[in-house]
Amino acid sequence: MRERKRLGLAAFAAAGTLLLAACGGSSGSSGGTASQGTTATYGAAITGVVNPSTHKGGTLTFGDSSTPDSTDPGNTYYAFMWNFTRLYTMPLMTYKSCPGSCGLQVVPDLATAPGQVSADGLTWTYHIQPNVKYEDGTTVTSQDVKYAVERTYDRSVFPLGPSYFPLLLQDPTYPGPYKDKTAGKMGLTSVTTPDSTTVVFHLAKPFADFNYVVAIPQTAPVPQSKDTGANYQLHPMSTGPYKFQSYQLNKTLTMVPNTNWSAASDPNAKQLVNKIVVNMNVNANDIDNRLMANDLGVDMPGTGVQAAARAKILASPTLKQQADNPISGFLWFFYINSVVPPLNNVACRQAVEYAANKVNLQTAYGGPIAGGAIGSTVAPPTLLGYKSFDLYEATTQPTGDVTKAKAALTACGHPSGFSTNIAYRSDRPKEVAAATALQQALSQVGIKTQLHGYPASTYYGNFAGVPRYVHSHDLGLATGGWAPDWPDGYGFFQYLTAGNSISPAGNTNIGELNDPVVNGLLAKFGTTTDAATRNSYTAQIDMQVMKDAVMLPEVYAKSLLYRNPNLTNVYVQQYFGMYNYAVLGLK
Amino acid sequence: MAAPLDVFPPSADATPDSVLGGVSGKAIEGRSLGQIAWMRLRREKVAMTGGIIIAVLIVVAIVGPFLVQNPDVYHADLINATFSRPNGAFGGISLAHPLGVEPLTGRDMLSRIVNGARYSLLIAVLATALSVCLGIFFGVISGFFGGWADSVIARSMDVFLAFPLLVFAIALIGVIPTKAFGLSGNSLRIALLVFVIGFFNWPYMGRIIRGQTLSLREREFVDAARSLGARGPYILTRELLPNLVAPILVYSTLLIPTNILFEAALSYLGVGLYPPTPTWGGMLSEAVSNGFYSVDPEFMLVPGLAIFIAVLAFNLFGDGLRDALDPKSR
Repeated sequence: MRERKRLGLAAFAAAGTLLLAACGGSSGSSGGTASQGTTATYGAAITGVVNPSTHKGGTLTFGDSSTPDSTDPGNTYYAFMWNFTRLYTMPLMTYKSCPGSCGLQVVPDLATAPGQVSADGLTWTYHIQPNVKYEDGTTVTSQDVKYAVERTYDRSVFPLGPSYFPLLLQDPTYPGPYKDKTAGKMGLTSVTTPDSTTVVFHLAKPFADFNYVVAIPQTAPVPQSKDTGANYQLHPMSTGPYKFQSYQLNKTLTMVPNTNWSAASDPNAKQLVNKIVVNMNVNANDIDNRLMANDLGVDMPGTGVQAAARAKILASPTLKQQADNPISGFLWFFYINSVVPPLNNVACRQAVEYAANKVNLQTAYGGPIAGGAIGSTVAPPTLLGYKSFDLYEATTQPTGDVTKAKAALTACGHPSGFSTNIAYRSDRPKEVAAATALQQALSQVGIKTQLHGYPASTYYGNFAGVPRYVHSHDLGLATGGWAPDWPDGYGFFQYLTAGNSISPAGNTNIGELNDPVVNGLLAKFGTTTDAATRNSYTAQIDMQVMKDAVMLPEVYAKSLLYRNPNLTNVYVQQYFGMYNYAVLGLK
Repeated sequence: MAAPLDVFPPSADATPDSVLGGVSGKAIEGRSLGQIAWMRLRREKVAMTGGIIIAVLIVVAIVGPFLVQNPDVYHADLINATFSRPNGAFGGISLAHPLGVEPLTGRDMLSRIVNGARYSLLIAVLATALSVCLGIFFGVISGFFGGWADSVIARSMDVFLAFPLLVFAIALIGVIPTKAFGLSGNSLRIALLVFVIGFFNWPYMGRIIRGQTLSLREREFVDAARSLGARGPYILTRELLPNLVAPILVYSTLLIPTNILFEAALSYLGVGLYPPTPTWGGMLSEAVSNGFYSVDPEFMLVPGLAIFIAVLAFNLFGDGLRDALDPKSR
């Protein structure tokens, strides 16, 4: 699965400000969380619901300093859009609307229950709720779900979303419904609809995480008669609590309540306000100021306030109690290549782990609040099955341990250091800062490095993601950022560390780790259907990867979010790392 | 009454101060054009100030890096990581760091500005030299020989002037590998920046030289030389080039600040030198791209002022030089 795109987008967000790419969601529902509320204090919305209320009315405004990648549920890869589409779509599955780690659970949304998997692991069957209606009153059928999946095969029309279905299902060469010559354009053989409430997916090989895949907004039903291709994003047919009233592309989106929506069928979303307005292309500092002046409800990208607002919020006790500092689910790190000499020796890689000054790296990403907490593991703490450990004194001696680094250098046969290169994305100021910080720290133990910047758009495609290039240019170290499309160990580690993920271009396993222990655990992940057993593999993989020292974790990314005091039912949905947009109301 | 016709020898008594002030006691000598220009230039206080600033900048660029501290050393204790800004007022100004420190790294601003001067000025001056050489060569050929050579060169100058230069520069620097022409790393980048900036600016110089050459070649002294049997090369080197020195000098001085800004623009767009090498444009770009100007304005102000002062100094000096060399142009 191509996580790179989302990763790219996400990293862009963190670097610049706006877009966050991330993971998926769907429309969901929140049922009875409203009873126990928390008072508004710093961080209150991470573990509890702030201002729980069932009060209706008001106009909720979102501000976006850029634009969504697309409002079409089949064509989006930004985290905040996977969050926001829950207001007008219902995919088969979604993430449970609740604060804390509860929000990582994948639950049925349009489906009545999680998928039933066949004994061979190749067939996944979902039954959909029979009475879900579109905004125009017509009933949703399983054919609409199939059609929505078919649409995503046409990458020339919908290039932005993830492409898990062609990758996982049989019939990967299906051209998409617009070139489909079969009657009713139902030509995708790997998705079948035995009746109007059942949809069956036929996989090419077992994939135990498939419930997460159908939680991506791409399975939200699309009625074929209303599909306008690339223009469908101007008015997607709503199955959620709100429907599009008007959308001036990339300027203003107005949504009003969907009268054909029923709260009973969609417990993960709420219909509390009279109108939702999204203003796009608003200056980021302006958004912060308007948030703090109660003139704007939510900063849509959900990646945190700008530096100026950060200073204001943290300095004022009144503002600070309206702020949260959640972990976004992202890890920033350096790949340490396990093939380029002398880093092909694990002791040399460990020397890098010890020598790095993690405080300076954290500062490069914006410090403990806006950057994140210093990482000692590859898995971020919000991952299912995460266990904390620290092999290289990242938290106990965060400025680096020169003695241990030198001992490791001696063990690898280069007691006075060696030379290598650091690749980074030159158009991302935070990665530039991180690369120079690492260069500075490594020079203290005699490891000389030369910095090589590449454009972010071609970083994976032509440079750091091309093993041949990496070898011929001695790129021993490379910056990276990662967040999984779903919050379990497979989603996180498969593309970063599996031996079979190493590819000649667009490689995401830049460390080129090919460790049988890791490979074996990941293979078991794909075939183990019991979720608890799967999640127990996460920490084992994490530990082995850190022992192999192919990743130097920098920070578990965090963002400083400001919570408008007028909002009700506010909490951070851990899966998105930002406020849950599907349940917000106004006082 | 008739005026006395006696010719008095020059004497201090008889000489009005206004004419011979400052040369008393010496015999009057004829002044060369250069001397006259130099006298005029010295009277231009503004231009001389510019000239002095340029001289100081050049000295700073050459010897400064040996006097200041290491520009790459991190001072994590001087910054507040939570707020991404230096401790203390005005960007963390202290005795040890007179211009403050960088907000993310605590690196000393003064030493980065001084080291940045070396690279920024080096690139600007070398690029200007390249533009001037190309401009003179093609401008003189075009203006002096005329005909098809003039047509070809003049049209190609038009093409260059119409070129979306910045876009091309970014593309070119983007596709050049990290090692090429026997160079690598920063030396390759410097060479590339010099080439890109210098090569695409030559038509400005070329047009001016061509125009001057066109008018000069019709002048009487050139006709005189020609009628005495002088050939092209002699006329070019002995009659034309000496008369072109003034415009060349003036426009070179005016081209340097343009090139400083161009280097800054390229650094700002991410195609400057590799970090951690400081350049003024690169520093400005760091300050702007991370949004630091809102929490730590000094981070942007210091390199911005450095660029501002250098550009202003070169411009003032260039203007003064033009007035001094050609008073009619006022």
